[in-house]
Amino acid sequence: MGKNKHTHESVWDEGVSRRRFLQIMGASLALAGVGGCTRQPPESIVPYVTQPENITPGKVKYYATTLTLAGYGRGALVRSDMGRPTKIEGNPRHPASLGATDLFMQADILTLYDPDRSQNLLRKGGIGTWEQFASMLIREAQGRPGGRGIRLLTGHITSPTLLEQIAAWLRANPEARWHEHEPSEGFERAGTKLAFGRELEPVYHFDRADVIVSLDADFLGEGPGMVAYGRQLIGGRLVRGGRNRMNRLYCAEAMPSITGATADHRWALSPSGIERLAAQLHSALNGGADVPDRVRAIAADLNANRGRSLVVPGPRLGAPAHALAHAMNATLGNNGAAVTFIEPPAGGTDVMDLLDEMGRGEVGVLIMLGCNPAWTLPPEAGFGEKIRKVPQSVHVGLYRDETAVVSQWHVPMRHDLESWGDARAYDGTASLIQPLIEPLYASRSPHEIVALLMGDTGARPYETVRRHWRSLAGEADFEARWEGWLNEGAIANSAPRPVAPTLARKIGTEAPPPQSGIELNVRLDPTVFDGRYANNAWLQECPKPITKLVWDNAAFMSEATAGKLGVENEQLVELKLGPSIVRAPAWIVPGHADGCVTVTLGYGRPWAGVVGNRAGYDAYPLRTFERPWSAAGLSVARAGGRRRLACAQEHHRLDGRRLAREQTLEEFTKNPARVAADELMNPGHAPSLLPKDAYTGNAWAMAIDLTACIGCNACVVACQAENNVPVTGKEQVLRGREMHWLRIDNDSVDDEIVFQPLGCVHCEKAPCELVCPVGATVHDEDGLNLMVYNRCVGTRYCSNNCPYKVRRFNFLQYTDKESESLKLMRNPDVTVRNRGVMEKCTYCVQRIRRARIEADAAGRRIATGEVTTACAAACPTRAIVFGDLNDARSEVGALKREPHGYSLLGHLNTMPRTFYLARVRNPNPALGKTKA
Amino acid sequence: MNSSRVFPPCFNAIARWSIVAAIALAGAGAWGWYRFTRSEFVELTGYPVEQPVQFSHMHHVSRLGIDCRMCHASVETSSFAGMPPTYTCMTCHSQIWRNTAMLAPIRESLDLGRPMQWRRVYDLPRFVYFDHRIHVAKGIGCASCHGAVDRMPLVALNQPLHMRWCLDCHRRPERFARPKELVFDMKYKEPADQIGLGRRLVSEYGIRKLTDCSVCHR
Repeated sequence: MGKNKHTHESVWDEGVSRRRFLQIMGASLALAGVGGCTRQPPESIVPYVTQPENITPGKVKYYATTLTLAGYGRGALVRSDMGRPTKIEGNPRHPASLGATDLFMQADILTLYDPDRSQNLLRKGGIGTWEQFASMLIREAQGRPGGRGIRLLTGHITSPTLLEQIAAWLRANPEARWHEHEPSEGFERAGTKLAFGRELEPVYHFDRADVIVSLDADFLGEGPGMVAYGRQLIGGRLVRGGRNRMNRLYCAEAMPSITGATADHRWALSPSGIERLAAQLHSALNGGADVPDRVRAIAADLNANRGRSLVVPGPRLGAPAHALAHAMNATLGNNGAAVTFIEPPAGGTDVMDLLDEMGRGEVGVLIMLGCNPAWTLPPEAGFGEKIRKVPQSVHVGLYRDETAVVSQWHVPMRHDLESWGDARAYDGTASLIQPLIEPLYASRSPHEIVALLMGDTGARPYETVRRHWRSLAGEADFEARWEGWLNEGAIANSAPRPVAPTLARKIGTEAPPPQSGIELNVRLDPTVFDGRYANNAWLQECPKPITKLVWDNAAFMSEATAGKLGVENEQLVELKLGPSIVRAPAWIVPGHADGCVTVTLGYGRPWAGVVGNRAGYDAYPLRTFERPWSAAGLSVARAGGRRRLACAQEHHRLDGRRLAREQTLEEFTKNPARVAADELMNPGHAPSLLPKDAYTGNAWAMAIDLTACIGCNACVVACQAENNVPVTGKEQVLRGREMHWLRIDNDSVDDEIVFQPLGCVHCEKAPCELVCPVGATVHDEDGLNLMVYNRCVGTRYCSNNCPYKVRRFNFLQYTDKESESLKLMRNPDVTVRNRGVMEKCTYCVQRIRRARIEADAAGRRIATGEVTTACAAACPTRAIVFGDLNDARSEVGALKREPHGYSLLGHLNTMPRTFYLARVRNPNPALGKTKA
Repeated sequence: MNSSRVFPPCFNAIARWSIVAAIALAGAGAWGWYRFTRSEFVELTGYPVEQPVQFSHMHHVSRLGIDCRMCHASVETSSFAGMPPTYTCMTCHSQIWRNTAMLAPIRESLDLGRPMQWRRVYDLPRFVYFDHRIHVAKGIGCASCHGAVDRMPLVALNQPLHMRWCLDCHRRPERFARPKELVFDMKYKEPADQIGLGRRLVSEYGIRKLTDCSVCHR
């Protein structure tokens, strides 16, 4: 027996002998009898000393706050169970959330309670005190008139209060400097500078565009506006209620992304190929004739929709390509319509200057606020050596990370859910951050650190933030307005006015020459971002869209490129770019551009924490200041050796059956019911031996619109957070033992990916129920297929008889029952499962029951829309709709009557309550159905 | 050798009786086990539970006539009936019995801001979700589950908390339903025609016979 790293539970190593097996089995049998006789341990009830107002024990409350990612805010409503934040929902009144969330917001709750979070102030690696730190900083600040040699380094900041604090500090200390280094930043600002002569932030309005061209822009899966952008784009693609108009999305990209999978036409092009395409498209729009047919077709489509089209440059494209895209939008009359521009928040100066000064020994105090430069800066920065020349280096962060261990001081930072603060959204709307819980550890907010630089030792972030907003809003009626902002979760009319920039000069259109060698394409990881979420186990185990890898990154390439290089999956390759060498396992991705290799950031961290350490390989060394996102001249060689990768793609497959259904808009318009008429998907026609149940109360059902699903994984993590679903670790996933109740299948129709979310479909005639020997899975009066954990003895017959493969078994004690902080995180309405029981999607029965009790106590029926599941609530595009089929006003009932609805494996006559709406695509007839 | 020599004829009778005896013994054992597992010793019913302060419900409810909801304030609004914060005790005990040794832990709790740790008497397993609010709203009296708390100096478990016991009522709620306004009445006596009253209340309050697993297990 050995110890599982992630679950602290005993597991069997391979090769247990027969004798040992019998010994263990004998002992277990004997102990099982005794184990059944234990009493519950005595329990205490601990009431308050003085009960706070407005708290009713046992009742949940929701508070509006803001969560930040790379500085940008997304509004959230956080569920508070007796003072513990336990679940994050979207805030309908916040423009970047619109009531939905992305997967990072969902996972923030785990980061808050992560036992690996830094808990103590460290001084040269030993424990220090805040007083020591404060006196050091004040001494230094006094000894350095004008702030000479004091430097502040941060990531992106949008917080109006913090920016004002920093500005005040810089005004008072003219020789101090603020530098900014954001590893996830692309060339957006550089692009607008090139195009318009000033740095601006583009804000897209996909709801105002009928034809959209994405040039390497994964706007559905990345960036601070992704939830809103998903809602806008899909809003123009829904064919429901007789509507048969759709927008059209073209996408060119190197590494397949969820935006590419959603697109009607997608081209796999290397980074330089995309820049060439941008130049060709620009030329075609300006009357150039010497362009390929497909580019001419796109240009014609764009020209036919002048003022209602959009060319979106990916943040990782170079500045010239950005400028081209802005020029194209100007030509098409889209600027000011489908794309607007706002002034970006103030930024710090370039980190290069700081590095030079550090190298010359001119920096006396360096404060690194919420960033991890020791790991994210390119190797040419030489940060590891230069930091040693700084006498007082201070790292303020959530974790004791790579930068913390090379700094003189480390100060634990507040999590957003513990702090007062503010932030701006992608469109500039400001909102407040309010704490949901007392700080778990002796942590400090960035507001306190900057106040300390100004000599203020007793600054309270609450007062600091209020003072800032009071100065902006004025005294009149301030308290009421402040309460209103907190209540709404967004500050109305706080977004800056869009500016109308003019193209500064003629944009160069010469296409870059074709690259001969292999190109490097660098991307953020779809689940651990730039590495800041590397220690978040939910995100580590969340299958990455497209590749379905978990706990690892890889060197992604096309089949042709892999063939040329002579490598296969999991074989280690050596990636060499200039002086940097990185060894990575190869992974073939269908649909990847030929002639380039994609690496993702965020892995291979030595100081991430128990969860993230040594997972994957570090791709940061391949970046340079000049070309952080793509580069030519990559050499790839087989390195010998392999690394096993855990891929969830082939797990729980419903083999050999065509499941996800797709049709073009043309076919759909001609015959909307074509898919439903397919006998394989046609439920309820075969006779059944089982009695027909009449569901007269509520008949809960779920509709999943495959046209709307963008595969973003927000639902998967939301389900995990709501239902206390454990993670199992890479070794267990390799055995197909991941526990997600909801998975997103990548189904391939004509080589196009269709995302198909699948949890328990709640069959009315459920095959699992018939085979359970102990009645642990049964039906209730609403037609829910229940899982009764305390009856389950773990035969797993149900899972074997489930045609959808949605049941998950606790082979080991996956739930961490020891870490104290994680106990605070669990949803108290959902049983925490032990080893040996089966579990599966319950349609969030705890939410249904809560609503039922509310309704019953008031003597009414459950209102329309009163209950929704965690997945449906999180979905940015409303692809998942939950409700009561017996409620005439429910949306799910309306969707059930749609002609293109179908049941998965309907011919089995299981009569599932979850049903699907077939995917509809809108390809350009001029390009044919095939993808180039 | 003839077997009749080894086993004399009387063994025929012994053999027959031993079968009967074995069955009887097994029966007695089963009955004994049945009784044992349902005994107060196993079910822990009727054993008063020591508390950090020997709070007497008998004194406070019967003699002083304090309503249940004075301390269990959220019983009508929440799944959890609520336990009084130290402050609630001190609303009276800052005026009366101010210096008794018995109340020292309460005073200490308020002084130090350290909450009281009361021992739980009604301890449901973690996979059971019980909601006080809906039971109160549907006319189930406190005493139906908690017994005559007004006559308990120290609270003891009154019912075994077996699932069978829950289902007894969930299957036939008319046996226990009482008028809503009398839910907290500790002196309430069932009328002679409880079934008749119960049936009327069941239809009036819309009490449903909820026996689905998901009602309590989630």
